[in-house]
Amino acid sequence: MVISRRKFLSGSLGTLSLCLTQPDLLALAAQAANLAPRAGGTGKILVIVQMAGGNDGLNTVVPYAEGNYYQARPQLAIQASEALPLNGQLGLNPNLAGFIELFKQGKLAIVQAVGYPHPNRSHFRSMEIWQTAQPDRIGDTGWLGRYLDLVVAETHGKPANLLPAVNVDPLLPKSLSASKVIVPSVDNVRDFRFRTDPRFQADRQAQVAAFKDIYTSFKLNRPNVDLLRQVGLDANEASDLLLKSVRSYKGSVSYPANQFAERLRFIAQMIAGGVNSRVYNISLSGFDTHVNQTRTQNGLLKQLSDGLLAFQQDLEAHAVDKDVVVLTVSEFGRRVAENGGRGTDHGTAAPLFVIGSSIKGGIYGDSASLSYLDQGDLKYKIDFRCVYGTILDRWLNADSRQILGANFDHLEFI
Amino acid sequence: MVAARTDKIWVGHLLRRAGFGATPEELDRYQSLGYEGTLDELLNPEKVNNRKLEALIEQQDFDFTRIEDLKRWWLYRMCFTGRPLEEKMTLFWHGHFATGFKKVKHPYAMYTQNLLFRDYAVGNFKDLLMAVSQDPAMIIWLDNQQNRRGSPNENYAREVMELFSIGIGNYTENDIKEAARAFTGWQTNPAGFIFNRRQHDNGEKTFLGRTGNFGGEDIVEILASQPATGRFLARKLIRFFALDDPDDAMVRAVADQYLSSPYKIRPMLRAIFSHPDFFSDRAYHARIKSPAELVVGTVKTLQIRHLDGDLPTLMARMGQNLFDPPNVKGWDGGPAWISTDTMMERFNFAARVTGQKFDEIEGYFSPSELAAKEGLKNARELVSYFLELLVDGDVPQSTRKRLIAYVSSDLSGQPATAIPDDSVLDAKLRGLVRLIMTLPTYQLA
Repeated sequence: MVISRRKFLSGSLGTLSLCLTQPDLLALAAQAANLAPRAGGTGKILVIVQMAGGNDGLNTVVPYAEGNYYQARPQLAIQASEALPLNGQLGLNPNLAGFIELFKQGKLAIVQAVGYPHPNRSHFRSMEIWQTAQPDRIGDTGWLGRYLDLVVAETHGKPANLLPAVNVDPLLPKSLSASKVIVPSVDNVRDFRFRTDPRFQADRQAQVAAFKDIYTSFKLNRPNVDLLRQVGLDANEASDLLLKSVRSYKGSVSYPANQFAERLRFIAQMIAGGVNSRVYNISLSGFDTHVNQTRTQNGLLKQLSDGLLAFQQDLEAHAVDKDVVVLTVSEFGRRVAENGGRGTDHGTAAPLFVIGSSIKGGIYGDSASLSYLDQGDLKYKIDFRCVYGTILDRWLNADSRQILGANFDHLEFI
Repeated sequence: MVAARTDKIWVGHLLRRAGFGATPEELDRYQSLGYEGTLDELLNPEKVNNRKLEALIEQQDFDFTRIEDLKRWWLYRMCFTGRPLEEKMTLFWHGHFATGFKKVKHPYAMYTQNLLFRDYAVGNFKDLLMAVSQDPAMIIWLDNQQNRRGSPNENYAREVMELFSIGIGNYTENDIKEAARAFTGWQTNPAGFIFNRRQHDNGEKTFLGRTGNFGGEDIVEILASQPATGRFLARKLIRFFALDDPDDAMVRAVADQYLSSPYKIRPMLRAIFSHPDFFSDRAYHARIKSPAELVVGTVKTLQIRHLDGDLPTLMARMGQNLFDPPNVKGWDGGPAWISTDTMMERFNFAARVTGQKFDEIEGYFSPSELAAKEGLKNARELVSYFLELLVDGDVPQSTRKRLIAYVSSDLSGQPATAIPDDSVLDAKLRGLVRLIMTLPTYQLA
């Protein structure tokens, strides 16, 4: 789940540290500081939301016309009268009111029964499969990492853009593990600043200058030293850049008071503030509902939907909404039948959501059958790599074959 | 390479790995025992009198029904214990059997689980696995409370194999379903573990190729006896204590101890700390310190006697929230500790520890006092002293030079022309220690 940087270090950077001279680095630092801000309408951005723990799809997009659903879930099923209707067959969990609003505006696509062959029910393995898009072997890079490797321009063997993607979460997901770049993680921008003693403000510059000099020329032939050196320098540079963009943001949309929404607002600040990132990652965890599912999942879905509705409105208020697509993913859906603790165990296929002003809203794909199951689990209908392929080819203008290793059918949501 | 480093250096190395570093005073004592003597003492914590720590804990009057107190209590133990390896293994088990307060919601259950990890710190893994399977916090964490006859809950059955014993790839989905049945009725009430006979599935089960009327005890027994468990634990222990990327030979050597002892952790640890790879450039100052190692190591090295209540919060921001690991897999450790975000937190922890805010209170870090005590007279001596103390002097020459230039400059960064007054000198010394604490080498254990 978390990035292994071994490949990265044994590859490009290992040699980089040997051949980069100090003037090179200074030139690069100057270049990063002068990066042209992203102008509205010029770049396409993907925001990926990880619903960690395995979200129960059947209580998210509810098949309320199916008797089998109510039979399998005497305690957990959502009644037809409570669901928010999408059509005669399907309704949304009542806590997804924000999503219904987006759906009515044509800004929400639901892709049904998404999964992959030979599903793995381990959180960590299945997450790795989704994040690497390599179900048959454990790779070192993530699907978005490989995308970044293709698009990030390099100067003197170093990425020209300091922030090609930003992970707004404490843990870097494997999806963003790349060979050429280390994606920065910033989950709390207020604390993301090199602090010094306020009583000796003048000494701050002396410390920062010493820090930069020492880090730039720090060489020791040991594991992890290059990683630390690079991330330390990046942290310092990124901090200046991000604080600037966040300061320029003026917002009128009110976000819900929770950490997920705060992080979404930070992403909106970066996008509106002109940070030149193509990909943002954010997560919401707690979906592993083995017991007392209803209360937990309802609360999380409400956070998800209220937060993303505010985010969409904020992007619209800043006229950058047409540049952004949001994709939700989760490592698996859950077992069709409820267990004895008013919960559900690990399962397989589930729906996912795509949101944005530039997409074609609607419901894509057929629901999974509730009568033909595989060991009590749903059989998937759409491979998740079809969703990735559609986004890579039609939204991010990348060659999905190079990234996914094969061609997958496109869906029509973009 | 090995010859170039003295026994003294290796004792320090061992203490950073098998413990959380050492105060200069502790280091002197361990160095007088030599490497082997130190290792013997560390591996036999039960023989070390720990009354001083217990007395100190007593004075603090912790309330074990408050999670904040629990975190500070454990940090006190890490900082001031006479049995460093016992405490380090307690942290290892917490990461291995990763249980989170966020869901368990009972501080006292988290406390008793922590006592359990300490009791079995270097003991028998089969006994520990059994105790954990019956531990109230674990039963709540992985939902075994709701694992009932006729409607099993698979959460514990899956993770006990994937994460706690044999590892992924060594069992089938059906083994999970059958093991879940065997653990039905293993519940907890306020008094502790209870076996709820009415909820237990007494039927026949087939698990890892064996068939019988298995209960949870049988599953634990079978799992502990698998060679895969020895390999899984060996690799994890080596990554935690020695190096990120061990060779198969080292894993085998450590795993062999598991089956031959059998199931004992102590001989596995001795094998790690005696292995040639532990004394290589791949290990020395090469593994990234966990936030616990960074924070506790700093407290010890700088001889800070009063613990700031915020330390657990700072650790959490660096990615290690005690009693609340990110998920049931625990902390990945190694390079995963490092991101732009956590790196900035480490830099700012250094600023905080060395900051002026502390100097009014006795027991906080005071570099001027230290410098006076050590009789350090000029910038070169100051830089040398603090580099030795904090990172064994293990930095490139360019770093040493740049630090001397920093200390020799005045507050506006210009070369100092006059002898600085005490407050300027104090500020520069704090800046120096802060800069050393931000070095790549200081992030490495």
